[in-house]
Amino acid sequence: MAAVLSTSLLVVIALAGAVPILYLLSLAFRTNDDVLNGGFLPSVIYWSNWGRVFETVPFATMLANSWLVAIGSALLTGVVAVPAAYVTARSRRHGDRLATLVLASYVAPPVVAMVPLYFLLKGVGLTNNVVGLILVTGLANVPVAVWLLDGFVRRLPVDIEEAAWLDGLSPVQSLLRIVVPLISPGIVAALLVCLFLAYNEFLFAVSFSQSTDSQTLTVGLSLFQGDRRVQFGQQAAASVMAIAPMYVLAVVAQRWLVSGLTHGATR
Amino acid sequence: MFAAPAGVGLLLLLVYPTVYLLALAFTESSLGRPLQEFSGLDNFVTASEALAFRGSLVRSTVFALLGAAVTLAVGTALAVLLRTRGGRLGLAGSLLLLPLVTPPVMVGVAWKLMLAPVGGALTGVWEAVGIGGFNPLGTGTGAFATLLVIDMWQWAPFVTLLIFAALLGVPDDLLEAAQLDGAGAWRSFTAVVWPIITPTALAVVLLKVVIGFKAFDTIVVVTEGGPGLATILAPFEIYRTGLRGDFDMGVAAAETLVFGVVVGLVTTVLTVARARVVRAQG
Repeated sequence: MAAVLSTSLLVVIALAGAVPILYLLSLAFRTNDDVLNGGFLPSVIYWSNWGRVFETVPFATMLANSWLVAIGSALLTGVVAVPAAYVTARSRRHGDRLATLVLASYVAPPVVAMVPLYFLLKGVGLTNNVVGLILVTGLANVPVAVWLLDGFVRRLPVDIEEAAWLDGLSPVQSLLRIVVPLISPGIVAALLVCLFLAYNEFLFAVSFSQSTDSQTLTVGLSLFQGDRRVQFGQQAAASVMAIAPMYVLAVVAQRWLVSGLTHGATR
Repeated sequence: MFAAPAGVGLLLLLVYPTVYLLALAFTESSLGRPLQEFSGLDNFVTASEALAFRGSLVRSTVFALLGAAVTLAVGTALAVLLRTRGGRLGLAGSLLLLPLVTPPVMVGVAWKLMLAPVGGALTGVWEAVGIGGFNPLGTGTGAFATLLVIDMWQWAPFVTLLIFAALLGVPDDLLEAAQLDGAGAWRSFTAVVWPIITPTALAVVLLKVVIGFKAFDTIVVVTEGGPGLATILAPFEIYRTGLRGDFDMGVAAAETLVFGVVVGLVTTVLTVARARVVRAQG
């Protein structure tokens, strides 16, 4: 009885939580007039929003830019964060100091770095440029990745590395050949989280990269708002197409994400 | 040596911005021409006199703290509910991840379309409950509350995941003993469960406060700071001062430094409080 009650309560909560996304889906199949009629469901299924959004805004370019930034910056984050997490977890002398600094840079709201980074990027000609966004976003996500990875390194028994050193492996070799393979579930989780963060990032993207050919999805879709004649259906279709791949990734990688997040975030 | 890349990152994202911010804050600086001439505390005076900025510090702090409290309460309740069904999340695990990975801009778009006074999904609902034409984004309090609800939608499931993991650490026999002693559900929670999950809960609060201070995306999309100044939080105000409208980078930098100090103070107080509570529990 209690189990039935809690299950039905959970189903109700899940449905209520899904309403915003389901409504987005419903809008994507309506004409503007049908949207203004109100109601949850389309009166007639209208398919053209999905194609027309590619003509109204440079949607294909935005998609490509978002994926470039997401993948590029997640890889950059990984390259920086894996050795850094090795230090925070293992080095007695520098570990704590680095961990504190990394944490401080996460606590500081990104808006703090926005103005100075704008001038830096402008100085080296990387405003309105995907590479500029990859660099900034990739480095900005390092604290999150270090934080997640630190716990995975700490749980490895030190004996394994010591055995590797006795066998004549250099610290770099033992990191790459011993530690990295053993913490690979953590690395997968951290890279995915950073991929999500970079794909979803808005503040840096809107501050540094507004030009049409360097816009990411978040910037492009937020600008839909400013349009005088908002095409609700197209905006909804574009949002659904932006969200869908993230949902697929999250569901496919659920195992790694849940364990990575719960191990990392609450040590 | 392993820390070198991270060191470069910290230099670019922490040290350089701080130094540059200090330089900007004490000079006359526009977007086009930064660092024109030394201007003493002028930028700080301008910032402190700006009604929008002063209010934004208070609103950001309220938003961060309230958002953390609401999210923790809802997230924990959901976790407890899930725990009654057993030790595995199953399908719920996937569903809980989805809000977390939804780009906040798209979350904002979805909510804005849903709340639209004309043609929104809820117009019919408002009529049905006798408040036809209700527009939560029409009043300051309503808009602020809406942002908190959206924040909860995005983050409570994440809190649920973390708290659920902590709940697995509560020994079953302790709960059974409490029930044998005649403790009801609420009493068992406060006396047995809560003390065990406190460290996790406080870590979650701290994390969520930090995240709350960063709130920006949904404001741009859903309220644009309005109505009036009601939803202008500090990051949005700094963005407005520096890269929109005034393009006054000097004042934006001064505002950033002041905001940074506020965030630092609040998070330090919380960190110390958390350490005390955790230590007191032993």
